[in-house]
Formats: sequence, structure tokens, C-alpha cells
Amino acid sequence: MSKPDTLAAQRRTAFNRRNFLRGLGACIALPAFESLTPWKLLAADAVTAGRLAITATGAPLRTAFVFFPNGAIQPNFWPDGAGTDFKFNATLQPLAETQAHVRVLGELDHLCANPGADGGGDHARGNAVFLTGVRPKKSATDIHAGISIDQLMAKKVGHLTRFASLELTCDDTRKSAACDSNYSCAYQYNLSWSSENTPVTAEFNPRLAFERLFGAGPVGQRALNNQRRQLAQQSVLDFVMDDAKRMEQRLGSQDRDKLDQYLTGVREIEARIQKSEQFGPAPDPAMDTPPGVPSSQTEYVQIMYDLMVLAFQTDSTRIATFCLAHDGDNRSFSHIGIPEGHHDISHHQNNPDRIAKVAQIDLWYAQQFARFLKKMQDTKDVDGSSLLHNSMILYGGGNSDGNRHTHTNLPLVLAGDGGGTLGPAAYVKYGSKPCTNLFLSMADRMGIQGIERFGDSTGRLQSV
Amino acid sequence: MLFAGLTCSAATAAELPGAADFHRDIQPILETYCYDCHGDGKSKADVAFDQFDSDQSLLQSRGLWWKALKNVRAGIMPPAKEAHPTLTEQERLASWIKKDVFNIDPENPDPGRVTVRRLNRVEYRNTIRDLMGVDYDTTSEFPPDDSGNGFDNIGDVLTLSPMLLEKYVNAAQAIVAQAVPTVPKVVVERAIAGASFHKSDPATNSDSASGPLSLSYYEAASASNTFQIEHPGKYQLVLNLTAAEKYVDNQFDYNKCRLVFTVDGREVFTNDYNREGNKLFHYEVDEQWPSGEHTMSLQIRPLTPGEDQVRSLAIRLNLVTLRGPFDEKYEVPPKNYARYFPKPVPLQAAARRAYAHEILGEFAFKAFRRPVDPEMLGRLTALAEKNYSQPDQTFEAGVAQAMVAVLASPGFLFREEGVEPAPKGGGNPLIDEYALASRLSYFLWSSMPDDELFQQAAAGTLRRNLQPEVSRMLADARSSALAQNFAGQWLETRDIATVPIDARAVLSREAAPPAASAPAVSPATNAPTPQTSVTLADAGTTATPAATPPAQAGAVGSVPGRGGRGFRRGFGRRGPRVDLDDALRKDMQSEVEMYFSHIVHDDRNVVELVDSDYTFLNERLAKHYALTNLNITGADLRLVTLPTNCPRGGVLTMGSVLAVTSNPTRTSPVKRGLFILDNILGTPSPPPPPNIPPLEDSESAFSNHPPVLREVLELHRSQPICASCHDRLDPPGLALENFNAMGMWRDKERGQTIEVGGQLATGEKFANVQELKHILANQHRTDFYRCLAEKLLTYAVGRNLENYDVESVDRIVERMQKQDGHFSALLMGVIESAPFQKRRASSGLADATPSESGPHHMAAN
Repeated sequence: MSKPDTLAAQRRTAFNRRNFLRGLGACIALPAFESLTPWKLLAADAVTAGRLAITATGAPLRTAFVFFPNGAIQPNFWPDGAGTDFKFNATLQPLAETQAHVRVLGELDHLCANPGADGGGDHARGNAVFLTGVRPKKSATDIHAGISIDQLMAKKVGHLTRFASLELTCDDTRKSAACDSNYSCAYQYNLSWSSENTPVTAEFNPRLAFERLFGAGPVGQRALNNQRRQLAQQSVLDFVMDDAKRMEQRLGSQDRDKLDQYLTGVREIEARIQKSEQFGPAPDPAMDTPPGVPSSQTEYVQIMYDLMVLAFQTDSTRIATFCLAHDGDNRSFSHIGIPEGHHDISHHQNNPDRIAKVAQIDLWYAQQFARFLKKMQDTKDVDGSSLLHNSMILYGGGNSDGNRHTHTNLPLVLAGDGGGTLGPAAYVKYGSKPCTNLFLSMADRMGIQGIERFGDSTGRLQSV
Repeated sequence: MLFAGLTCSAATAAELPGAADFHRDIQPILETYCYDCHGDGKSKADVAFDQFDSDQSLLQSRGLWWKALKNVRAGIMPPAKEAHPTLTEQERLASWIKKDVFNIDPENPDPGRVTVRRLNRVEYRNTIRDLMGVDYDTTSEFPPDDSGNGFDNIGDVLTLSPMLLEKYVNAAQAIVAQAVPTVPKVVVERAIAGASFHKSDPATNSDSASGPLSLSYYEAASASNTFQIEHPGKYQLVLNLTAAEKYVDNQFDYNKCRLVFTVDGREVFTNDYNREGNKLFHYEVDEQWPSGEHTMSLQIRPLTPGEDQVRSLAIRLNLVTLRGPFDEKYEVPPKNYARYFPKPVPLQAAARRAYAHEILGEFAFKAFRRPVDPEMLGRLTALAEKNYSQPDQTFEAGVAQAMVAVLASPGFLFREEGVEPAPKGGGNPLIDEYALASRLSYFLWSSMPDDELFQQAAAGTLRRNLQPEVSRMLADARSSALAQNFAGQWLETRDIATVPIDARAVLSREAAPPAASAPAVSPATNAPTPQTSVTLADAGTTATPAATPPAQAGAVGSVPGRGGRGFRRGFGRRGPRVDLDDALRKDMQSEVEMYFSHIVHDDRNVVELVDSDYTFLNERLAKHYALTNLNITGADLRLVTLPTNCPRGGVLTMGSVLAVTSNPTRTSPVKRGLFILDNILGTPSPPPPPNIPPLEDSESAFSNHPPVLREVLELHRSQPICASCHDRLDPPGLALENFNAMGMWRDKERGQTIEVGGQLATGEKFANVQELKHILANQHRTDFYRCLAEKLLTYAVGRNLENYDVESVDRIVERMQKQDGHFSALLMGVIESAPFQKRRASSGLADATPSESGPHHMAAN
């Protein structure tokens, strides 16, 4: 029951999702974006850029990472059977409709999320390690992790699109008090890291995510608004850049890190403005701008997924990361009849009633993911195949068994076909390999060369 | 410099005076009180005080000594039943650790180093409010800030991602566009509130003349407004309306209506509306009017009489803006013009440049909160001039564009701090007066300094007038920020607005347990199963769905009145008898903020935060707390003296604290116990070990009844690995079990009378929550002082406390003890401390010295 009985809910706009989805439907029906994702340019890129983020047919190749919290009920998550002959169990059943494009990846680990000498804090680590594959420094204030795979990919292929990457989250509120076991909250809420001490903040507001991609205002005026906004940005960049450099000279070394973050941001705005000249105006989807954070959790998650579809469809970016909720998330699932907090009951202590409830939550998350895959499948790409075909989408979490906080045999699904570079649908057990080996194999398929190691990787993953 | 003795590897025992002191003064204390577990071959918890490789390694084990100091001072070690060192012995140990292990020079303690702080979103919003007079909703526009040590103003943790910078640049543009006029004169505008329209049915008219007017889709209605026009001419009416609805999950409303707008009886605009999802509409109507009286009117005509009316669809007329006459001779300066442009704009180029320079100098000084680099000011002026020199650009617009640059620049977004010249004999320099002004204002107001602070800083008199300035600042309404942001985060009560609590599930635990025939309900600390809900809803009924399919459960939750018969029965359409709705949550938040502000403004003893005979209540909250005989009426919260032996009084028994330390369906004695250790005693428990052993093996113990939480936790503590911490956590947490997850009083849980008596790990016994509060406020008063001093100092300086801060904290605590715990002693102690007043000398060495101690709030055992 999505009673907007909290102040947070109150500030969320009660909003007509139909308008938004109707708009999205219309936009999916349009092969119109062909004109906006210039085929020839892409083909040329493929040659000059060493086939970076390009499929064999010259279409864009996308990678997405989707994170769900608190592990999964293991027996329900893992399929029966093995190899290409497998059958989903209850949790992944919703993926059956797109099963031909789904690989379930067993026995991949994030050992850096294990306690080791650091003790408690498995949720903070589950989150921080998920895309970085390094052990985060245990500290409330001195944050230190590693670059995440999505950001590494973005650095390599980001120049091909208007946005190097897109980061989304459905965590719109933060708790006060210290985070998990006195890890800084930066670890627990950020999946993406552009460097070891700079988390990449994700956008929680669907309206702002949409406006950033396509411009503010109603249909037809967005390109102009975008142009105005960029002109305004442009006019202040010289001044603020200069101010930052002067301030940097006055400050100490730790402070210089902060100014570096500022200068990086300035350079990204400059790059965006240059790209606007290079790519022309951003596409203007024929749909209403989503007004804000919906009061219903289901709508919230679905709209974020829809934005990912839209971003990929319009080739606004080729890299997206979506945090459904941070690890340790304790929101209530009253809307599916489970009032308890997710984290609370994920420590089910083998109580069958609690296990059943957590499994229902796992299933709900899988249903939303399945809906997203279906949309990706139903959306045609420039080369005539589906968006899903031309994508690699990793869906998973940083804990396997939420009850016991384990980080081996992580629940992972790799969907999409990587433009035909991924193997057939299968359930493969990799025999306790680092999850980062998978990241390297994905980076290979993105055409990124020269990465020998990532995080705790020990090599490439065979047979993905 | 401070650590030179330690890094000298050639040092021998003879050259380490700290080691000599240790062997003479400290070792005998340890032998007497500690070696039973931590020496002579024993090394409980991997701690042995006689196993150091060398004297040097002894002195370098700072983490160990830090824990030892904390635990001995808090009475955690030695354990309660063992002999404890005398106060003199404790003091000897403390001073040895501070002097010889931490190398603290009490005359010149290391003030530490605050990383340059970015404004967090609260500070940004307040600063923009005070600088520009604009409320910019940073909660929707900016991502939440990461926090460390429980506070969101920690310099190291406040990172700046490219997306956030982009938002800052865009926000600067939007704020300036809203605040700064770009033309000297504008057409007169009159705002006519929707509520000032008179409805055709006078019974439905609202008394208010502000706010919107609401007209339902479902009924024909009209409303009109009559206004006077002085000068004949061209006018424009701008309608601002919302097609509103009340959201109902999974149910739609297909009604339509037609809106007809007339002026002086003439139809000038008409449109039809479906359900539009609270969309805003703007319409402009151009008119030519003679002077005199005119009437505009709005009519609603329902178009779908047969449709189900589900979502309360309504046209909400927010505002009609009347603009005109469109004639230059009647134009006026726009709102706020004088605030930004106090003089007429000169015509001559050099004079214009000088004026722009003057305006921007003043503006950038305030925005940067310190004097502006003249060269940067020159660049700003040039930027303005470049803009206003373009054709069709006003002077004002050019200056406004330079203001955008100011608000987007690091000088505004970061709090740069300067220092006074270093003292002659060495040591750490004071921060300069402007930095001090900002430290004070962001500490007490979460905002920028005001004119008075700037003037004091410019005159160099602020440090001299610290006490009166602080008093003045506390008297200012902006000081409510301290309650909102410091207390709100320290006590976690900022979360009350959003913490998920399911009233139905919470209340069901207080009902009688299921009939004897009910099967064993899950033995662990579970939430109620459907059985308990039904029992509560309608005791004696046996209509119990054995296993409810989730789809059905979902339907029950989202669509009252459809399906889920077994569930709905008791609460029916009414919902639970009490709900933690927005109004109650706001009351709870106000209670804790007003309470904290009372301590601040009346300079009370801070220990009243833990134990007192008063709180702040209104009628709703008094009823919620079952304090109905105090004759409290109305919505305003006020100071209420509580009856003798009332369990309320102090923060621990406030609804907000009790709710934020609960799970959505039940209380959490463990979270509550942890809260007391973390936030009252300042002795956090270490996190649970990995691989917690499951409880299921012992679950059969509860085969005959559903357990209450105390029983489950007792079972838990029977495991030695759990007991070491839960012996500390559970008793204070369980003492609060008479308060459910919504903070309501209850005597029973699942039919059993709740027992709250217990014993703290430090030995004190209590029978109820009143006694617990008394123990915390008296026997543990120093612990509480220290805890609060650490929290407030962390918040004030925006950094992690390190082991060298022990000295500063100790001084604050001493001051509180001497001055009877008054808030002013704490506050001035923090403000006058070295970490607040100074900045570590920025020699390369000091800068390169890494943090030595690890996290300050290190687990205490």
C-alpha cells in the first residue's frame, strides 16, 4: 500500500505515470532516432576507434550495471540444471520471457567484501566493492576505494556519446547517524567511483535525470533550452576555472583533491559543450518530462528503468549504472504486503516465514528487471536488432546470502547479447573466480584494450 | 615535529622517557587490574599488555592505548565485578597516554587539519536564502550529501562529482534569474489569489484570501472576482491553475470537465480537462479596458456525469496575475531592484564600469565570505561589462551574469579559511577573523555570516568579542539550525520524517496472542504473521488465511475495500486506530528540536537531555503519549511539566528517538541499546562479528508460545560470542520496551507483561526506564558530557576527531563539570578549543603526516 504517509512521500509529486509511459511508448515506436544516431558516423567511429563500444553491424554497444540490495534467497535464485539446459527457479521466473538473452553466472566472488581484518560492515563493503573489486579503506571520513568498472569503461568510450555515463539511484533519502559499522556513508551509497577517492553521485530524481539528458521544458522547446543552458554555462566557465586554479595554489594537499574534483567537473562541462557542437542538438523525446520522485516505489523503479531504455535508445550514453537501493536498505515493502524492513528480515535466521517474505522481495525486484529487459527487447536499434541484443546488462548484488553476509557465489545475471559477442543463454558455474574477471571480459567486448588487471582480477572469464 | 621522537629508529630505551615512565608508573597499575586477562600469558580479545616487542612498539601502539583509555574511563574495563583502578590511578594512566603515547603538548595541542569544506545542501540552501533572499529547494535539486561519523558536514567526505558541479552551475543561473532583476522598470503586476474568488455557492467559500481556489470536476460551479482599473489601456490576465487529483493506487478516474473563463460576462477562454496528474497550466488573456470596475469569472461544467469519482479531480486556480497597463509611463522598478542596484545606472561607460565593480565587489565579498582577490574582481567586472555591452543587453543583465559566475565558483561553494600569522615561538596559527566568522555562522546557523559578523571580522574584533557575539547569534532565529542539524543528526531524529513504520503491524504485537490453538509463530524476532493481524483485528475469529499469496496481500495493502477479506475485517476501511502520519511525525520532530533549543536558550544543564521532568507537547502528541490528564489543547507545542514519576522527559523517551531506533514493524532493543551506547555514553559497541551463528537450533524453546523480544534476546546472549557485546547493548535497549515503535506506551507485548528491569554492563541495576535515565544522568554524567562534547566538536569543525583531540575534549569536559553542565560551558568550550580556533601549521611535514589514530569512535572493546 503506497500511502504517502511520510513527508518524503508528500514532497514527491503525485504524478501521472501514464503520461510518461505513454510518451515512452510513442517514442519507442519511433525509429526516428535513426536520424539522430548517425549510422555513418558510428561506422566511421568503429574503424578509427578500434571498434569501441560498437557491434559487428556498427550499432552502439551498451553496458549497464543494475544493483539490488541485501543478497538473495539462494535456493530460489539459482536455476535448476546447468549449461544451456537450465530452468529458472521462483525468483528469476519473470525473466523467462527473455530467457534466450539471459546468462545466470554462478560462483563468482567478491572476496574484497569479506570481513578480513576489517570486521563488520558487509553492507558497506557489498556496495563499495561491487563495481570496484577493491577493499575500501575502513574509515568514517578518509574515503578510499578504487575506480569502478563502469567509470573505467566511461573513460574509454565516453567520448562517443553526449554523456560518458549515466548513474541512477532510487535512494532518495539518507539516514542520519553513522553508516554501516562506521564506514563512511560514501561507501554505502555509491557504486560508481571515478577515482579512488571520488564517488560518482547518482541522480535520484527522474525529472532531473530526464532534463539532464534531453533538456528542460515541454516537447519542442528542450533543444533550445539546452542550448541556452550551455551558453550560460559557457559564459562562466573561464571565470570559475581561474578562481579554482588560484584557490588551489593557496591550499594544502588534501584541499587540492577537492579543487581537482571541481576542475574535473568544469572540464566535463566543457567537453559536453563541445560534444553538442559535434553531435548537434540532443534528441527530444515526444513525451512529458517526469515530474519528480513518484510516491509509489514500483513507479519509481520503473521510471528509472525507462530512463535507461531511453538513454540507450537515443544513444545518449553507452554506460549506465542503476542502484535500486543501497546494500543494507531497510525500506518496507508494504505495497506487496510485506511491511517489514527489507534489511531487517533479510537476516531471516532461517525462519521460513521470513525467508518466504524476502523471496517475495527478490521476486519483486526480478519482476521490475524483467519488465526492463522486455522493453529493451521490444525496442529496435539502428541496425534492426533489439536494444537488448546490442547490450550487456549485469544484474546482481554485493551480498549473496543476506542472512549471513557472504560474498561468494554472488547472485548475478548477465542479460543482453553484447551485439552477438556473448555466448548462448546458460547457467554456468565458474568455480570461485573473482567477479572482476567478468568485468575484464565485458570490457574486452566493449573494445577496450590494454587493461591487464582490474581490482582483484586473476584473468579473463572463459566462456561468457 | 610532534612525532619526531617516534620516527627516530635509533632510539633506545634510555632515550625514551615515555617508556621509563611506563615501567615506573603504569605497568604496576596494569599488573594489578589488567593482567588477569591481558598479561602473564593471557591475551583475552588479543590484548596483552606485556607482549610488546620493544619499548618503541609499546609507545607506537596508539590504537591499543586509545581503546584502553576509553574503556577504563567509561568503566567498561575492568569488568564490573572486578576491582577498578582508583581515580588517581586512572588519571595517571590517562596523562601518560596523552603525553607519552599521543605526544600531546597540553599548552599547544595539535588543532588538526580541516579539509576545505564544500557547502552541504542544507548550508547551500540557507546561504542562498541569506545572500539572495531566495528559497532554492536543494532537497529536490541536489543529491543527498554523504556523511561520516554521523554528520553530513565533514570536509573529507563532502566530495564534488561532475554531475553536482553541473547542478551548481545550473542552480546559480536559476537563482540569479529568480532573484536579480535584469531591467530597471517593469509593467505593474497584481497577484489575485484563487481563494479571493467568490463561489456562486457562498456556503463553500473559504475565509482565506490567499492560497488556491478548488473546484471539483464533478459539480457545476462558478467563482468570480471583481477588481478596479485606474488607467484605461492594455492589460493581460495570466491564469495559473493545476488540474489536481488525489493519487489512488491502481484505480483511475475517467471524468472530464470543461472550464470557461469570462471577463465582464464575455467568454475569453475555454478548455476541457481529463485527469492530468497535477499538471500546471498557464494561460494568457490580453484585454483592453476602460477604467472602472471589472469582473472575471471561472465556470466548471462536468462532462461525464456517469463516471466513477475516484481521485477527487479538481481544477485548482492558484493565482491570476493581472498585468498592466502596458504603458511605459506607469512602469515601476521590479521587486528587489534596490537590493541589488541601490543607485540609478550611469550612462557613461567608465561610470558604468565603476558601478559594476562596486556592486560586484560587495556581492563577491559576501558570497565568498572573505575579501576578494582584486584581480578576480577585475575579471568579474570585465565579465559583466562584456555582457552588458552587447546589443539588447541591459546593464543589470550583465551584472547578473557575473553574479552567476560568483555563485558557481569554488570561492562560494567551498569554505576557504585563512590563518593569522604564525606565533613567534612556533606553534599553530589562529584561523583568521573571516574564517572564524564562517566557522561560527555555519556551526550555529548552518549559513553564512551576517553583516554584524562581517563587520567584526573586518575590524579584527570578532575574537575579542566572542562571548557576546555567540550570545547574539544564539538569540537569532537562525540558531534553530543547531537543533535541526546538530541535534537532528546526533539523535537521528531528522529521520523521523521518512522512517518507515507500519502502524498496523506495530499495534498487532500489543494485542493478545493468538488463541491457544494457534501454531507456533516464528520463534525468532519476527514480525507478526497474518494470524496476529487477524487476531488483533477481530479477536476470536479464526478466519486465518494459511498462506496468503502475495498478490492478494498486495491488493489488501493498496486497495482498501477490495479482496483480502480475512485481513480487512478488523481495521476495515478505517485503518489502524493510530497511525504515524505526517502531522504526528512533525510534532515529534518539533518536540526534540524545541527541547534542544530550550536547553540552548535557557542555558540548562545538558544532562536534562537525558533525564528531566518536562517535555514539549501539543494536544495530538499528549494524546499519543497517553498524557491525557494534563489538559493540553491545540496544535502548538509548549513546555509541559510532567507528573511525578512519569516515564517521559529526556530524549530517550521521545517518540522521534523511539521510532528511528525501531524496525518498521516492531521495536528493536538492540538498535535502542546501541543508540544509548553511541549517543549518550559515547562507548560504541563494535559491529557484530562476521558469520553470526544462527539461532534456529534453539528455536524449539519457544514451541509453546510466540516469544517476546526479551526472550529472544536472552537466547541470543546465551551464546558467548554474542554475550560480550549484547550484555552491554540489550539491558538499556530493553529498558525502553514499554514504548512501541511509534513511541506509544504499552504494558504488554503478545499478552505478556513487559519486564524492563536490568543491569548495565558497568554494574548499575535499574527497575524501570526512570531509574535507567537517573543512572545515565548521574553515575554516567561524565561519560555523557564527554560523548556530547565529542559529537559537538566533530560537528563544529567538520572532521573526524583524532587521538590528539583527547586533550581538547578533556578540557571541554572539565569546563562542563566546573560550570555545572550548562550548555554555555559546552558551547564555549567547543568554540574556544584549539581545533575550532586554530589550524595546524601547514609545514610540509605536518601536511604529510597521516592520521595516526584510525577512527576516533573506535570500538571500545
